[in-house]
Amino acid sequence: MKSVKLFFTSLVILLAAITGYAQDIQVKGVVSDASTGETIPFATVQVKGTTKIATTDLNGSYTILAPGNATLLVTYVGYADAEVPVNGRSVVNITIEQSTQQLDDVLVVAYGTTSKEAKTGSVTTIKSESIGDAPVASVEKMLAGKMAGVQISSYSGQPGAPTTIRIRGISSINAGSEPLWVVDGIPVMTEDQNMMSNVGAGSGTTMASINPNDIESITVLKDAAAAAIYGSRAANGVILVTTKSGKQGKSSFTARAKVGVTQLSNDKKFRPADVESLLTFQRDAIINAGYDPDDADGGYYRPLSLLDNDNTDWYDHLTRVGQMQEYEINALGGNEKGSFYTSLAYHKETGIYYGVDYQRFTARVNADYQLLKQLRAGARINAGYSDQNSGQMGNLYYANGAYAMWNILPFEKAYDEDGNHNQDLPNNADTNPRAIAQYDEYNDKQYRFQGNMYVEYKPIDKVTIKTTNGAEMSLTNARQYWAPETNEGTTTLWMYRQESYRLTTSNTVAYNDIFADKHSLRLMAGQEAQYDGYNYLGGKSPDVDPAMPYPNTSSAEKDALYYNESEETLLSFFGQLDYSYDSKYYVQGSIRYDGSSLFGADTKWGLFWSASASWNLHNENWLKDVKWLNTLKLRASYGVNGNNNIPRYRAYGLYATAGYNGVTGMLPSRVENKELSWEKNRTWNIGVDFAFLDRLNGSIEVYNRNTEDMLLSKRTPQTSGFSSNLMNIGSVQNRGVEVMLEGDIIRTDDITWTAGFNIAFNRSKVKDLAGSEFLTAADPRSGYDTPVRIVEGKNMYNFYVRDWYGVNPSNGDGLWYAEDGSLTNDRTKARYAYIGSPEPKANGGFNTQFSWKGLSLSAFFEYSIGNDVLINNVYGWYDDDINVPVNNLLAKDYWKKPGDTATNPKPVVGSSSVYYAGYSSRFIQDGSYLRIKDVTLSYNLPQNITKKAGMKNVKVYVSAINPYTFHDVDGVFDPELGSLGYDYGGAYSMVKSFIGGLEITF
Amino acid sequence: MKNIKILFLFVAALSMASCGDFLEKAPKTSQSTEVTLSNFDGLNKAAYGALMPMYDWYGTSYVLANEMRSGNGRREASGTFQSGRFYSEYVWNYSADATSGMWGSCYYVIHAANSVIANLEGKDSEEGVTAQDLDNLKAECLFIRALCHHTLVLYYAQPFTYQPDGLGVPNIIEPGDANYFPARNTTREVYTQIVEDLLEAEKIMADDYQRSGVTDAKATITKPAIQALLSRVYLYMGEWQKAADYATKVINNEAYELWTAEELPTVWTKDVAGDGGEVIFEIYGKKTADYYNSWSDISYVTNPNGYADGGVSNDLYKLYADNDVRKTLHRTDKENVSGGLMWTTKYAGKGDGTPDCNNIIVLRLSEMYLNRAEAILNGASISGTTAIADVNAIRANRGVDALTSLGFADMKLERRLELAYEGHYLWDLGRWGDGVVREDFTAGDNFKDIPFPSYKWALPISQSELDINPNLVQNPEY
Repeated sequence: MKSVKLFFTSLVILLAAITGYAQDIQVKGVVSDASTGETIPFATVQVKGTTKIATTDLNGSYTILAPGNATLLVTYVGYADAEVPVNGRSVVNITIEQSTQQLDDVLVVAYGTTSKEAKTGSVTTIKSESIGDAPVASVEKMLAGKMAGVQISSYSGQPGAPTTIRIRGISSINAGSEPLWVVDGIPVMTEDQNMMSNVGAGSGTTMASINPNDIESITVLKDAAAAAIYGSRAANGVILVTTKSGKQGKSSFTARAKVGVTQLSNDKKFRPADVESLLTFQRDAIINAGYDPDDADGGYYRPLSLLDNDNTDWYDHLTRVGQMQEYEINALGGNEKGSFYTSLAYHKETGIYYGVDYQRFTARVNADYQLLKQLRAGARINAGYSDQNSGQMGNLYYANGAYAMWNILPFEKAYDEDGNHNQDLPNNADTNPRAIAQYDEYNDKQYRFQGNMYVEYKPIDKVTIKTTNGAEMSLTNARQYWAPETNEGTTTLWMYRQESYRLTTSNTVAYNDIFADKHSLRLMAGQEAQYDGYNYLGGKSPDVDPAMPYPNTSSAEKDALYYNESEETLLSFFGQLDYSYDSKYYVQGSIRYDGSSLFGADTKWGLFWSASASWNLHNENWLKDVKWLNTLKLRASYGVNGNNNIPRYRAYGLYATAGYNGVTGMLPSRVENKELSWEKNRTWNIGVDFAFLDRLNGSIEVYNRNTEDMLLSKRTPQTSGFSSNLMNIGSVQNRGVEVMLEGDIIRTDDITWTAGFNIAFNRSKVKDLAGSEFLTAADPRSGYDTPVRIVEGKNMYNFYVRDWYGVNPSNGDGLWYAEDGSLTNDRTKARYAYIGSPEPKANGGFNTQFSWKGLSLSAFFEYSIGNDVLINNVYGWYDDDINVPVNNLLAKDYWKKPGDTATNPKPVVGSSSVYYAGYSSRFIQDGSYLRIKDVTLSYNLPQNITKKAGMKNVKVYVSAINPYTFHDVDGVFDPELGSLGYDYGGAYSMVKSFIGGLEITF
Repeated sequence: MKNIKILFLFVAALSMASCGDFLEKAPKTSQSTEVTLSNFDGLNKAAYGALMPMYDWYGTSYVLANEMRSGNGRREASGTFQSGRFYSEYVWNYSADATSGMWGSCYYVIHAANSVIANLEGKDSEEGVTAQDLDNLKAECLFIRALCHHTLVLYYAQPFTYQPDGLGVPNIIEPGDANYFPARNTTREVYTQIVEDLLEAEKIMADDYQRSGVTDAKATITKPAIQALLSRVYLYMGEWQKAADYATKVINNEAYELWTAEELPTVWTKDVAGDGGEVIFEIYGKKTADYYNSWSDISYVTNPNGYADGGVSNDLYKLYADNDVRKTLHRTDKENVSGGLMWTTKYAGKGDGTPDCNNIIVLRLSEMYLNRAEAILNGASISGTTAIADVNAIRANRGVDALTSLGFADMKLERRLELAYEGHYLWDLGRWGDGVVREDFTAGDNFKDIPFPSYKWALPISQSELDINPNLVQNPEY
């Protein structure tokens, strides 16, 4: 404690020295109600244009240091803001007037904004301030742990990799479970458009083309009422992103820079065993099998002299410290006629595996202009370019360092005699990932454009007509090249070009009126149409000339061409009615009628609706006098949303072309389903919002969501030619509770200390699988079946594995439960059982920020409780095979002699009764974790200094991202394993970063 | 207010007007079933398309699985010369939860063939389309359907010669219907359907019918291919005279001639079989084909420097005389670190890079000679030839001496030597009631020998299929 005091004392002295010459005077006074004269406690008094803030005490008194020419700004809930010049006075008493216009926080919601006071649905927002400095490369990653009920997870830590987002659990089995993203009023494309990265296809959302710093706020619409107006596609929730726009009278120019390093997040030091431990383990395995490790002809030769070889630590050799840098400039400004915001940013990262890097440019222009008194127009234009090299990550490729390190023995040399990468690696198919990184290419270049333009016309005061029209395009050029150096002298080239584009028009008419003072009415009607197109052209050219590795040098005979094209449309009509009485009672109704080209001719249209109401108790007369109560609000909603997130043309019976023997023929590729239609979600939500003492606010919500008419593959007899057909069958339920709390612990002139906390509990239940006892969940990246099953009557995801008992202390055999409950050492007799689920019992985050004058320390945590993970046997658990390395945990703890109570059985090389093979409960563990997501220390230079230098604000900061994760999972680098809680091997796991940055505003 | 109403109506009208077409988006790079089956061109493509999946199910799965089960194949237990593939086949480890996928593969192709057959009627009213054109398509589809039913009945039923009236597989002769839950026909009923289909195909196909435009003419269905399959099916039924008669039809066809000892090592990796030679019907392999198996291709699995799971057992290899040119159809790994393990070169690849591809022979002339020799030994008679003459016709072209006498054992040995690694031996063992006896075996004594009879000769039907179709019965003891 002493040293902490000393630290602060010295800081105070230092800062006092810096700020010492400011001509501040101490100002005192009382804040009171203009009409009643009552003093007002807990009002906020701020020196305008600074961060200096004081709060009135119980007697309404305040004290604040302010320059003599300053203006004091007084704010208090339910009162109009007041500005009072100090004019050199030391006592300034201030009166403020009650306002009918509540001091509401504005919330961006579907097709407009609302106020916290008026909201009836479940809506959560984070603002740009709390998005903060976290140097994440992609917008969706910023949401992690920040909102109750919004679960963010990734299968990959590779730069540019997509993210899985689940709002209130997983509601769909076959149709997508990703929420709808709406940026500046236009639904955007969220699929991973990279073709080479191997990390994403189908596994989530990527908003990589949007610069996180361009974002003003992100609003998540969680319940049916909030999302209903997006009817179709709203079943998984809606995320509204609003980008920054210029403000009248404020202009600024900001430059930002940050640099940092990244490394593998591996807080439990998991890795392949060192060469000594490995050799000991292998010799034991050989001896246990009855062979002699010192007999060169014995089949299993592992002499101790191997230690004298030129051994290699492949973990170190295949990973590295990554580097990251980002530079950005932005400008904003505006006058009474128009405003603009523009930014240009560059981000570059090199991966922790060789051959992986990512760079990106983004540019944005947002402009608004008041053309006439009734006519306003504006545009939001974003352009992005990214260039990504991927190696062969995220899969069981020998070229993937994350997999290869579990194949290559440390006895293998890293380099050959000529100093080249050693490619004589029989256990890794003679593939050295370092050589692949040097010679081969896996490159994606992506060009993205998002633009929309709106015109807003107010023919009369109460009516607003608005049209917003957007275009979005994504072009990916991918190139995969196998060089002669790594492919035994042969070359192969693949080139792909993929285009996705979307055109959207959204048109609304709104009518707003307040009559008889207390009745507020809003009516809105609108229409929307969306067109999505996709095409893909790929070519393969074997034997290109390595001196000119392009299709031009390959023989036309061997070249192959691939092509695909598809399109999809959506047409919608919607309306909404809001009515409120006296800021106390609010009701809202929404209705939306959507037609989708994805469904059968007579089943294209779906009707979605919601109804909701809220009651602001704090505005009731009988609660108005309770001064400590700022807000108390009850909300309830019910509604129906849809989901059409399925691949295109599933309603059609199809023949696909297929080439064979020089002629193109046709093969049946799909069974017709003319009745295919919308998957529907029925949700109710009850919530309470509260705020006390102007310090503590929060909300509690309870919800129930039933997914019905699920878009599910129903199994059909294979004698019909097909094993399944997509139909509207089955149902799933998600129920949960969410709590959010935020508060100011200390709020004085110089010191503020705030903290926030959120937690969400979600329980899923599969109610009906239409006759199937279970479904096997497929890995979203590879499409392979996983050991995760979806079981009728149980929760959504369940591990279905062999039932492991443990190690027989007397002979070291691994033991399983057999079908009859007895123990067996024969793996093939082990019973299968449902053991554990990757769904967390609870998850969320908490954060705290401590500021003292310009210095601020913030920390942000994310946690997941009660989820199980299944560790893959790829990671060095082969206890019968000496051709691959084992991990340091296995090498440290295995059965050696009778009486040992070891975790791992006795290794026996070449044994037919292998212990690792297949998934077993031996590898299921509690995957709970607490991650320190972000710790940032920042300092804003005092304004009187920066002003002299002609700058408005200068901020320097250092951040640690994912610096440490508390968890008990043995056998992984990082416990975050995606929503299936299971990694089939080779994943590019999470990384940690340490970053320093500078931000200057002029 | 009036203005607003007008405006709103205008917007609504505008969007409604275009709404009908806007939501109709048909696929572009595939064709709806309705359109495909509505005209001759579509049916022609669909008939041809039904052949394509064969590269997958007959090529890699069928041949390799059979050889691994029969004792001709061998796989290393661990180490570099195996990849974990084909272990279950090697040890005959099949259960209702993990069984062969042949069921789904064949019924899918049967559905493709039936879809064409059911829609041919009346299409000869199209200009330039004759009744014979339709018959040719129908004959192709009947051949495909018969080959699939035959494969199914071999996989999932006991041999016809052992239990002719035992549990067969469902005969499916109409396009797929998800609400049709067929029961199993008897093995005899299945064979009856197969023979009926093939006889009709033989009858209606034009004698000189040959699909044009193809790269490899031998990879299409022709009348001799139908006849050769009939010979095989009759042989498997023990219909000796008919087996011999149909073999004779093909043997007497001047389009085919036995490969000579000089030719034999060169024929396996050709891109196109070409005129003459033994091939009656094969599957054309190309890396760009839709059903190409990439790393799981037979050429990579039987490559000692590839996955290498599909090796040749010494039980087979040691049977070849040193001067037998068929012995040269084997190789060891590049640097022979395996210590003399052998792999077949019948699928050594066309030289199209790594992984490679290969044509897969389904029917060839030697099989016809061997079919006829076996039939004659069993009592069939064909004027002008004897069993020993047929066997010696082959031996004369393999660099080995003519036999002076021919017993059953000699005929069986010759059949094994000649057709090894072409997917025959397993069914021969079953037909002959011999069972699998292996000495060079790497997976432990428990799995080594498979006696005959045993329930294991009929594979289990997958549990999920049984769950869906209550009319199906599982094979005993699974």
